[in-house]
Amino acid sequence: MKDNSESIFNMVLASTVHDMKNSLSMLGESLNLILSQVDPELLDEKTKDYHGVVQYESARVNNSLMQLLALYKFENEQLPFNPSYHNLSDFLEEQKLRHIPLLDAKSIDCEIDVDEEIEGIFDECLLSTVLENVIGNAIRYTKSAIKISCSQQQNTVIEIADDGPGYPEQMIVLAGDYMHGINQSTGSTGLGLFFAKKIASLHKHKEQIGCIRLSNGGELGGGRFELIIP
Amino acid sequence: MIFTLAKKNTLIVEDFAEFARSVRAMLHSMGATDVEIVYNAEDAVEACKRKKYDVILSDYNLGPKKDGQQLLEELSKNGHLKSSCIFLMLTAENTTAMVMGAVEFQPDGYLAKPFNGNLLKSRLQKASEKKHVMESVNRAMSNRQWQQALDEIKEVMPKNKKYKMSCLRSRYKALRELKKYNEAFELASEITSQRAIPWAMEAVGEIFYLQEKYEKARDVFRNMTKEFPMSLEGYDWLAKIQQQLGEPLEAQATLQKALEKSPKALQRQKTLGAVAEQNNDSMVMTQAYRNAVKYGKNSAFASPDEYIKLTSAISQQLSKDDNTDSNRLINEVEGLFVNLEKNFVANETTSIRSNVAKAGFHKACNEDDKAEKYLQKTEHLVEKLEEQITPAVSLELNSALSKLGRDELAESILDEAIQQNLDDPEFISKAAKLSNNSELIAQCKQASQYNLKAINLFQKNNYPEAIKYFEGAHKLSPHNINIGLNYVQVLLKQIQSNGGDLKELPVAEKILGKLPTLNGEDSRYARYSELNRLVQLMVQKTSN
Repeated sequence: MKDNSESIFNMVLASTVHDMKNSLSMLGESLNLILSQVDPELLDEKTKDYHGVVQYESARVNNSLMQLLALYKFENEQLPFNPSYHNLSDFLEEQKLRHIPLLDAKSIDCEIDVDEEIEGIFDECLLSTVLENVIGNAIRYTKSAIKISCSQQQNTVIEIADDGPGYPEQMIVLAGDYMHGINQSTGSTGLGLFFAKKIASLHKHKEQIGCIRLSNGGELGGGRFELIIP
Repeated sequence: MIFTLAKKNTLIVEDFAEFARSVRAMLHSMGATDVEIVYNAEDAVEACKRKKYDVILSDYNLGPKKDGQQLLEELSKNGHLKSSCIFLMLTAENTTAMVMGAVEFQPDGYLAKPFNGNLLKSRLQKASEKKHVMESVNRAMSNRQWQQALDEIKEVMPKNKKYKMSCLRSRYKALRELKKYNEAFELASEITSQRAIPWAMEAVGEIFYLQEKYEKARDVFRNMTKEFPMSLEGYDWLAKIQQQLGEPLEAQATLQKALEKSPKALQRQKTLGAVAEQNNDSMVMTQAYRNAVKYGKNSAFASPDEYIKLTSAISQQLSKDDNTDSNRLINEVEGLFVNLEKNFVANETTSIRSNVAKAGFHKACNEDDKAEKYLQKTEHLVEKLEEQITPAVSLELNSALSKLGRDELAESILDEAIQQNLDDPEFISKAAKLSNNSELIAQCKQASQYNLKAINLFQKNNYPEAIKYFEGAHKLSPHNINIGLNYVQVLLKQIQSNGGDLKELPVAEKILGKLPTLNGEDSRYARYSELNRLVQLMVQKTSN
């Protein structure tokens, strides 16, 4: 039977995550409540900015937590993987809903372009975590708009596009191949893309394996993230 | 159909007060007016006894006692939820593991924290829509009206593409319950031929098992554990089939693997304990039942079983004199007996098991006097015994009492169980190996055959012939309650169809009078009651 210390660590990990998540939830909600009580006329740009910062950063911390936890489980063959049929329109609408406070705070336009009927086969929970990170990043770097779209031929391709400066060359080439050191200017560790690639690769069908692809340009002229699952 | 919280009762179950308040604020902004908060599962149960809520939002983590899933199980099991109630589980971690496990009692949805009001609203709306559309299907399913469910699904599915998978899943279950195995198999394998979806894979394996194609079933579940290593159902099935195929050591290894991934599973720990006992692996047996006791603490499914088995496993260890920590073990067993009495209402069976276990424990500690005391208590209890001892418990008592030198008592308990359960071939074959009463076994097998034949004749309305066979069965096994009730029922039918000729009446009366007592909770009590009433009515007519 497995070592007892491992299961103790698991329990500590789980309850710490629970605790941290509660704190983060409180941060976000408290701020929303405070702001909702202030007359919108009185909110200057700077305050709105700070609102955006709190939302964004706490969402980032939360998301990083989730990814770390998932990666830890993945390494220990303890990551539950439950693929099922899901309506993509519903799924992507929900992903947008998660970010509404931030989208509103920064006045970013978010369009969803998905056929209402199409379904994909994926683990809803894991893809949620991936997209939360990607969309969060898009919001951070975009100028004014984000577009979430999905198309389906042989594979299901979910695309997140923004009209920001786009991805640096290095990122496009590596595309999650390994986690590089902390990029001083952006604070990015590459965790998000590393995680996205791992989760994508869990989705297999016959010889096809899921993957991610980064590019620049696209419809909105900024960065483009594609998640391709069979 | 717009979802509104305006006239609905909502309950929030959340141990973190600040968060509970923020959720309430979200609900208020959706128009909710009646929102209550409780901080733990126990209070939630009390609240649900008093009021039937329309919406329950419960955190999965609720502190050291019952968690959200255990709460849901308890509320469902004890009928405290109205069928239209929407139960959402709020979770801090990846919910997939929970979705895959505990299939029987699933919430209407999971919501990972942190979430905002928009997401909550969207989820509630979706859950409400789904419940509304699937209402007739779900009702038929929970009433076990399988054909009705199939009809409803036929109506609902074409119009609701969104719920196709849910419908297929219910359809599979209904077909399986109706024993339409070929159709069920087709349904599941059509899905798996396109994609590897865990529930469909499990369904394919399950049908193989039900059709007794054990090797094929084993292959399916082996693949399932490879492809979905965190899907614990795969391991459970694999272990079950390995046992069926006479591979108990492999079964034990499979269960241990599953428990490594998810130890907090009461039933799985108990199954491991039982398999380890079969394999004479007392170390694993002890640890498994220890875990069962530990994880059963907050579960609505805890039972005296795991306590009794654990005391017995530890007693076995104590009887091997080479123990350095025997004091600790002795304290543990004494603690278990105390908790057993504290946590469970003592019915007759549990009292007997407990006294036998205590006798075994004192014997293992070389305290023969105390052992004798408990054995005498046991004899006294068995004499007074009115309720029926289940097959599994009768085997347990037979084994324990034989080891303690009370062969006659052991045999009498087993013999009674054999008579009562002669239509349980698995039990009879186990009992036959332990019983010294080969004549009894032969009689019971014969009685079972007569009973089946008689039932067949009864269904064809051939009452005189049916009576002959029931008489034969009853003679061979006079204590068997089912046969007795069947016999009386046919006699009454005969009287009715004979236009009132009451010659069979005294026989019926005598049989009913001599049957072992049924307690009110026995599933046959209603039937017994009704037959008795009819007989008494007829008896009164004759005396007028």
